[in-house]
Amino acid sequence: MHNSDDVALNTIARDVVNQISVILRTAQIHDPNNVAVSSLIEKLSSMINSLIAMERTITLELRGDFFYINDSRIRYTLEYLLNFDYLAREFKKRVVGGIVFKERTTAAELTTFVRVFNASGGAQRPFETIEENLLDVNSFSIERLRIIVENDTLEPRKMVKKTYFNAVSFTKGVINKIKSGEKVNIRKAKRVVESMVDQVLEQEQWLLGMTAIKDYDEYTYHHSVNVSILSIALGQRLGLNRKMLTELGIVAIFHDIGKMEIPYEVLNKPTNFTDDEWNLVRKHPVWGVKALLKLKKLDDVTIKSAIVSFEHHLNYDISGYPILRKKIELDFFSRIISLADQYDAMTSSRVYSRVPLAPDKALSIMMERANAQLDPLLIKFFINMVGVFPIGTLVMMNTRELGLVYESNQLFGSRPRVMVIIDKEGTRVKGSVVDLIEKNEQGDYLRTIIRTMDPNKYKISLAEYLL
Amino acid sequence: MQAVQGSEDVKKVKDVIQTVLKARKILRMYPENNPIYVNTLEECYNKFRDFFYYQDDLVLTVKQNEIIYHGEQVYYSAEKEDNLAVFFFKDGLREISFKKGLQPEELEAFLKIISLDFNRDVLDDDIVTLFWERDFQKIQYVVDDVVLSDDEDYEERAVAEAKEESAGDDNILKAYEDAFKETEELTDVLIVPLTDKDLQSLLKELDDDNADKTPKLIQILFEMIFLSESAEDFEDLLDFFKNAIEYIAGRGEIHLLVQTQSRLQGIVEDAANADIVRKFARKVMMFAGSEQIIIILGEVLDSGQESEEKIFEDFIKYLDRSAIVPLMKVLGELKSIHARKFVIDALVFLGTKDISLLAKGLTDTRWYVVRNIIYILRKIGDKRAVDYLLKTVRHGDVRVKKEVIRALGELGGGGVLQALRDCLDDTDAQVRSASLKALCNMGSEASKRIILNKVNDKVFKDKEFEEKKEFFEALPRWKDEEIYNFLIATVKQNVFFGRSKNYENRACAAGALGILGRKDALPILQKLRNDGNKLLREAVLLAVKRIMHDAQ
Ligand SMILES: [Fe+2]
Ligand SMILES: [Fe+2]
Repeated sequence: MHNSDDVALNTIARDVVNQISVILRTAQIHDPNNVAVSSLIEKLSSMINSLIAMERTITLELRGDFFYINDSRIRYTLEYLLNFDYLAREFKKRVVGGIVFKERTTAAELTTFVRVFNASGGAQRPFETIEENLLDVNSFSIERLRIIVENDTLEPRKMVKKTYFNAVSFTKGVINKIKSGEKVNIRKAKRVVESMVDQVLEQEQWLLGMTAIKDYDEYTYHHSVNVSILSIALGQRLGLNRKMLTELGIVAIFHDIGKMEIPYEVLNKPTNFTDDEWNLVRKHPVWGVKALLKLKKLDDVTIKSAIVSFEHHLNYDISGYPILRKKIELDFFSRIISLADQYDAMTSSRVYSRVPLAPDKALSIMMERANAQLDPLLIKFFINMVGVFPIGTLVMMNTRELGLVYESNQLFGSRPRVMVIIDKEGTRVKGSVVDLIEKNEQGDYLRTIIRTMDPNKYKISLAEYLL
Repeated sequence: MQAVQGSEDVKKVKDVIQTVLKARKILRMYPENNPIYVNTLEECYNKFRDFFYYQDDLVLTVKQNEIIYHGEQVYYSAEKEDNLAVFFFKDGLREISFKKGLQPEELEAFLKIISLDFNRDVLDDDIVTLFWERDFQKIQYVVDDVVLSDDEDYEERAVAEAKEESAGDDNILKAYEDAFKETEELTDVLIVPLTDKDLQSLLKELDDDNADKTPKLIQILFEMIFLSESAEDFEDLLDFFKNAIEYIAGRGEIHLLVQTQSRLQGIVEDAANADIVRKFARKVMMFAGSEQIIIILGEVLDSGQESEEKIFEDFIKYLDRSAIVPLMKVLGELKSIHARKFVIDALVFLGTKDISLLAKGLTDTRWYVVRNIIYILRKIGDKRAVDYLLKTVRHGDVRVKKEVIRALGELGGGGVLQALRDCLDDTDAQVRSASLKALCNMGSEASKRIILNKVNDKVFKDKEFEEKKEFFEALPRWKDEEIYNFLIATVKQNVFFGRSKNYENRACAAGALGILGRKDALPILQKLRNDGNKLLREAVLLAVKRIMHDAQ
């Protein structure tokens, strides 16, 4: 269905990125003149030249976490993930933002690049070092990594907020309709989730940022949307396609639908549940199945939703609730959503626990639960997604600045973007955002996190800073 | 010049829109391979291509009742029905742009989507979702998601509430102080690098996830049996089971249906289960074998879907006599032989449980159903069926009569001989022949007597030669003296009146002697080898050869 030229271009570009990554890795072990490397380079040069034949000038650019070819994002499937991540990380390490191919290239010139690029790893000013050493190369040049400036991005940020609140408002509407026995329009649910999927693909960090804010009155609805967003983001990392991500997102929105049967006073109780209340709460997975199966004629999404509702409090080892007669194997969606659910629940004060945990603390607890209660494989992907310092973590930096993690860095987990709320003099400031991958002239990082703290303990409101 | 080009463009865009509207109509009316469909598509594509000769994109702004291009109205309609502007507008589309390089396939996909009847078709998707799923390369659109929310001000309110909620004195400066007090160092426990092995196992997970979800649904419903607490719970659950069973039957998942039945049976039979649970399981089992499900399965079978015989047999084991009537009903509606065979096998199996119920099918108005039921009764082989079959002997359709005669012959029993004898006098030669065969197959003294009487009857000689031959050829079934003597007598018999008819009888007797194969008939036959009648001569020759051959 796509324009075949665009598809071809994108496919070759994907292979080029992959090939460069493989070559750089291989050249860490072998000399670039070794056959193992030189044959790879030969192949790379013919791939690049076929692109040149199609488009004349080829710009391969790293923006955020994604590679672009002549402004269109290079799409890739799961098999390519590690190589793409590797190349992005190596580029960022050297402040390299892209390569511009202006004419047909040769294996000899590419070999020079590989040698120079790998040698610059420890240089103080790696970008300049590479540039100087490529003076004799004519067919291509490198570009400096662009640090995204906050002001450019106000509009999309508004869009993200709009998508988020739209989803919450929709969820509230749907739950109220179901409560009063009205029919629910699945068409709208799809639309709402599709927007979220788009945002996750384009602006993942910002949408994830929205899930970090917990101070809403009607948290139940926010919880559903947050779990949906976290699930979509995890699903995206797992390589699900757009359609599957939409299904996952819809199913996630409905995971706690059974809770509508639990009285509001119980759910929003400020103190811990009594045994009776716990018994009530433990019924919501089954109640959810009932509500979903009553909602609509059976179809794929209804079945998947019912399965997730039933399974989302069952642990990886099938402990948890409801208590089963026969052992079952948890559905893939259930395992994804259950991770997202636990994380969002642990970091808020409204779902089960009365004391919210700091995001990084929640993650380390989840890590401990891997194998027994949580799927060990998925949790790895989940932690890679939310980062070592998830959005909303309160951090102290070696510059004596205090800040909140604003966006995590997918490639350097310990180097997120941070909103500074107290400067080095100890005075409150109006949140400017700094990027922890920035280095000074000598090649040292400007800022490094030295400790994390619990924002809840100090009643620091993320809503104040992130909304 | 600029202005002229501008108004030229507006004209062209109007033209493009008109072509799109036309294409929309045509796509609704004609199948894809129709020349009109193909031509219209081509025409539409050419309009776009011509436009892109001078322009890089065609951006349309969608308003409630109009479509705007560069500030100029290019489409207007105030109609409620079939209004293109409204059609886009109501799902939140506010802008649609086509880019240079638009390919015919993509245009066709676009036209197909806008040709759908979203009012009539029971679609779970709206236009925007369908566009979204297509992931067009050269068609872009802007949507306003406000149509999705009933509450436009939600965002503003929620943000205000959230900020208010937390506006309390945050102890941010206290946090700053504490940050220096605590001494524990930061540890990066959470860096978990992904390995190739992780990716491999993930790919496997994704693969497994493609599996069908219905077995899981059924599994959950079973768990819910034991989690049910009230009568209302059981009532709801019964509905869920029914829907699920209907769903899996409709998808032809007979395998799963069998598993479900088997598990239900297990619950029914386990005395450790509470009465209410066992009763519930019985109810679900009944539904799984009900008319509703059988009709669905019939449709599935008829649709030519691959189905294993074995699985269907397994399913039948869980049915009881109440399935007989619906199965017969389905039988009449099935079109494929393959499907009918399944149902016939099922009825052969179930029919034993209630012959009288099965026999009700004999009164069906469709001859082929009656014939199938007779076949089934014959296969079951229960003599109780005879009474019902005897009533069918006078059926108006020869095909039915033949089947019933055969069945009666196999079943035997009271009244059968009488009926078969009557049938030997039927006006239809096929019926007479069938009853002759049936009597012959019975092989009893009584049936022999009937045939012999028929052959000895005065009017017998007036029958067609072929039919006479058939009667005589039936006789050697009884290899006794009576038959031998009768045949010898007949072959020798000379009469004065009606000689030619008599020669036919003698020739038939000679043929029958040949079949009987007794050597002591040879001398008599040899004498007739040179008989003047050609028919007899040839029959005798054949018989002799046959006896000699058998003797070797
Ligand atoms: Fe839950
Ligand atoms: Fe939840």
